[in-house]
Amino acid sequence: MHRAVVDPLLSPILSSDSVSRRSEPEKGRFGDLRGLQWRINLGVLPSSSAASIDDLRRVTADCRRRYARLRRHLLVEPPVPKNGTNSSNLEMDNPLSQNPDSTWSRFFRNAELERLVDQDLSRLYPEHGSYFQTPGCQGMLRRILLLWCLKNPECGYRQGMHELLAPLLYVLQVDLERLSEVRKLYEDHFTDKFDGLLCQENDLTYSFDFRKSPDIPEDEIGSHGNAMKANSIDELEPEIQSIVLLSDAYGAEGELGIVLSEKFMEHDAYCMFDALMKGANGSVAMADFFSSSPVAGSHTGLPPVIEASMALYHLLSLADSSLHSHLLDLGVEPQYFYLRWLRVLFGREFSLDRLLIIWDEIFASDNSKVENSADDNIDYGFRILQSPRGAFISAIAVAMLLYLRSSLLATENPTTCLQRLLNFPENITIEKLLEKAKSLQDLALSIDISSSSLLLVESHYQSKMTSTRSTVLPSESVSPKTPLNFVPDSYWEEKWRVAQKAEERKKDVVENQIPTRKKGWTEKIKIRLRRTESDPPPSRVLSGQRGSKPSFRRSLLEDLRKALGAEENTEHEQRHDEILSEQDNISEAVEIEQQDSGCNSDNNSDDKCPSGNSGHEEDSSIYSDSTSPPNEANDHEIASEKNSATSYLSLDECNEILETSPIDPPLPISDLPVNVPPTSVSNNDDQGNNQSNETSDTSPSDPPLPLPIPDPSQNLPQTSGCNNDGEGNSATQPKERKQNKLQWFWKFGRNTVEAISEKVGGGAAEATKSANSISNQSNSLASPPASPAANGHCSSVGSRGDSADQNMMGTLKNIGQSMLDHIQVIESVFQQDRGQGASSDNLSKNVLVGKGQITAMTALKELRKISNLLSEM
Amino acid sequence: MVLVLALGDLHVPHRAPDLPAKFKSMLVPGKIQHIICTGNLCIKEVHDYLKTLCPDLHIARGEYDEETKYPETKTLTIGQFKLGLCHGHQVIPWGDLDSLAMLQRQLDVDILVTGHTHQFTAYKHEGGVVINPGSATGAYSSITYDVNPSFVLMDIDGLRVVVYVYELIDGEVKVDKIDFKKTSSNQSTQ
Repeated sequence: MHRAVVDPLLSPILSSDSVSRRSEPEKGRFGDLRGLQWRINLGVLPSSSAASIDDLRRVTADCRRRYARLRRHLLVEPPVPKNGTNSSNLEMDNPLSQNPDSTWSRFFRNAELERLVDQDLSRLYPEHGSYFQTPGCQGMLRRILLLWCLKNPECGYRQGMHELLAPLLYVLQVDLERLSEVRKLYEDHFTDKFDGLLCQENDLTYSFDFRKSPDIPEDEIGSHGNAMKANSIDELEPEIQSIVLLSDAYGAEGELGIVLSEKFMEHDAYCMFDALMKGANGSVAMADFFSSSPVAGSHTGLPPVIEASMALYHLLSLADSSLHSHLLDLGVEPQYFYLRWLRVLFGREFSLDRLLIIWDEIFASDNSKVENSADDNIDYGFRILQSPRGAFISAIAVAMLLYLRSSLLATENPTTCLQRLLNFPENITIEKLLEKAKSLQDLALSIDISSSSLLLVESHYQSKMTSTRSTVLPSESVSPKTPLNFVPDSYWEEKWRVAQKAEERKKDVVENQIPTRKKGWTEKIKIRLRRTESDPPPSRVLSGQRGSKPSFRRSLLEDLRKALGAEENTEHEQRHDEILSEQDNISEAVEIEQQDSGCNSDNNSDDKCPSGNSGHEEDSSIYSDSTSPPNEANDHEIASEKNSATSYLSLDECNEILETSPIDPPLPISDLPVNVPPTSVSNNDDQGNNQSNETSDTSPSDPPLPLPIPDPSQNLPQTSGCNNDGEGNSATQPKERKQNKLQWFWKFGRNTVEAISEKVGGGAAEATKSANSISNQSNSLASPPASPAANGHCSSVGSRGDSADQNMMGTLKNIGQSMLDHIQVIESVFQQDRGQGASSDNLSKNVLVGKGQITAMTALKELRKISNLLSEM
Repeated sequence: MVLVLALGDLHVPHRAPDLPAKFKSMLVPGKIQHIICTGNLCIKEVHDYLKTLCPDLHIARGEYDEETKYPETKTLTIGQFKLGLCHGHQVIPWGDLDSLAMLQRQLDVDILVTGHTHQFTAYKHEGGVVINPGSATGAYSSITYDVNPSFVLMDIDGLRVVVYVYELIDGEVKVDKIDFKKTSSNQSTQ
């Protein structure tokens, strides 16, 4: 009946359809009949290719019967007063009854719902109004929506549902068009088949509801089969053949089983809609996205839309971290635009014919949950990313974001950004978008579940902390390496966060677990470091493990370099870490952080030993002593470990330089390029999970970076540290080997509290001493950065002490003040030096003395800035 | 299906402060398509209240109405029924069926709604109905003092009308209903 109306629409759709089919030859069983294919993909019809046409027909008939029953039950006609009505229930059954169960109130509720639905339906696809605005179509849509909402009162009608339904009905209509086309073309086959059956069909109505002939159905089928055989020999394409079969009124279930039937379009559309909304036992159920309450089984406790939005940003952060951070910086929450995209499955962003192609792909993706080997991990993922279909939906959204990437990055305020997002360009190549989305889908599916939990944790923070910016950096810097490396850590982080309360009880477990994890980390990082450096002696020990993930490491480094941006990033990070550490100090969740920082500390302390600190021997001896089990409180241990990490952070680098060139006094600046990669690695680790003391260690030294390397924050201090070490303690170099061994030995879980804390104290004192001595030695290049390092040590010790008092802010103030003091000392020394002249610099055999002076000056300036900032805080 | 609320003789504020709370809770917007009121509201506030229930409000003038613009009688067609509206103080003797039937013939209506007596009555008469919804507030009249608040809701559907009578008796809302079917022959005579 709508044939003439739909035709103009139909042609572009068919053509675009054929385009997409060309690009993708494998299109399902009934690729030509989109409606039918969707029914199969949505789970309305059996998807197995073994299902015969008859099976399809049976299922179809069942669905239709269900719908008919539902319609009988739920569609309440206005209660027609019957003559025999007893007046006893009149109190209840009257038009003004307040009783919600009365037929009248049901009627009024339905009428209300209908009004609501009609409001939306009357505005549905005005550009295709010639089809969608016809009374017949509107009636069908209205009934389907009404019935669905009545069947699912907990969801009810929400705006947007009609736009999910309309394309479904439309493809069914298109299928019918196709059918009638085929019928016109192969009229002889149709007529041949039915001529013998005395069935007169009327071509003009295009209806296939042949009057039932009195013949016995079995005979019909038999003869029909014969006819089909003759036809298929008669070069009848299998496609056409199936169409003929599907529209045969004499197959299984008779007329009710006609898979392509105009009469039962409404029934079929309802079944499809129901399957789409409920997800047909899959994980993506559109109805969830209309509800504001969290779905059972989601561990986030967030509304599904929000969760899906988070999943979107998570995926985006993996695909394009700069765009992600830009959006976050602007404060553009994903749900601002994703709600609109998701609820109607991009129906508002694309014209109908394009939308159908997109939906083709969406529905073609399997909706079943991907089972993970680790069952308990499943709880930690985004629900939407758990099925290929959900992942594909997210992937399309990300692809759309990426399509707009340049214009989004150009936006400077959230309003224009949202404007661009919400006015998605029309003239976009769907195929490219889908291609991109498919590659992203793979990415989304490959995301390990626990990595997404990391994001959850962060977003958890985000909700806790008012400052979103501070979370930007960690998520950015951590996420690129999520798939491989961070899985266990984030998993444990999550685990611990959840189990914060039960901390005490689990303490033993933790103590068992941390060392092992540490070991793994240590080795990994060691490998990394060694790989970057020229071969250092200790690597012999680890040679068996070397190269385990070199390519990954490389990419990781690149990512990190990208991720670690300007100096102010460090500030943010620092703030973030402060908050983190505050929280952690209060709770005992320090251990969670500790796992990472512990790794760092291991890493650092492992590599540290050859550095020329006089505290070395003490330290190493302590290490060797430290076989006794930890006998102090857990967090104390962690604190001390962290301190160790901090104190040796800079030494670590120098160690490596020493290893590279053990005899020559290292030239700080020339060494820098070599240093960068490992530094950035460790720094990044810090960023993700470390606490403020480490950051405070690094950040003061952050400014003196005149170098183009993206993360120079630690470079200078470390180089200087090495310089310092090399000069002050070059005598200790021969011990390097031995100490490394000791370190390695210690690595096997012998971390004692007293030992480390002692070591920390010693190391810190040593560092300070050395810094001072260097400054006294008037090493113009080394002194400015060295003192920050010393400061860092002091402050780290101080901060740890305070952190026991849970007073981070005071600590920071202390840091700032001590920093100021040191700067003053340095400045005075520096000026003294200048008075003496650059030539008097006898310790550093650096040619770049003048340059170093400038660097030092700028460093000092920056230091001052930061100290001001710190003391303000 | 059309729901028509018929009420009158509220006499607010002179004889009653307001509609009974139970009635007010039942009368909610969105259900009723038309209101026909037999007059004696008497003030504009009542008129405004009725407007909130349903914007399609038809009022005949009672003798105590402040608003003088209300007509003495009013006829309207709802569905296939023709309704006549009159306060009834003009029809003497008050509440007399024969006199009312005369008015019904005069107005040429199927359903005549009058008030003034503050007593609910409904007669099927000569193929039509004569209805008095009583006083919605239970205000006393010059005839009687103990008046039960009552109003009438008509469900007009095609050729059939169901009259629901809501009466507040001892604090309880009693509902009764009267079926009336217009015969096609009746229609043809009109």
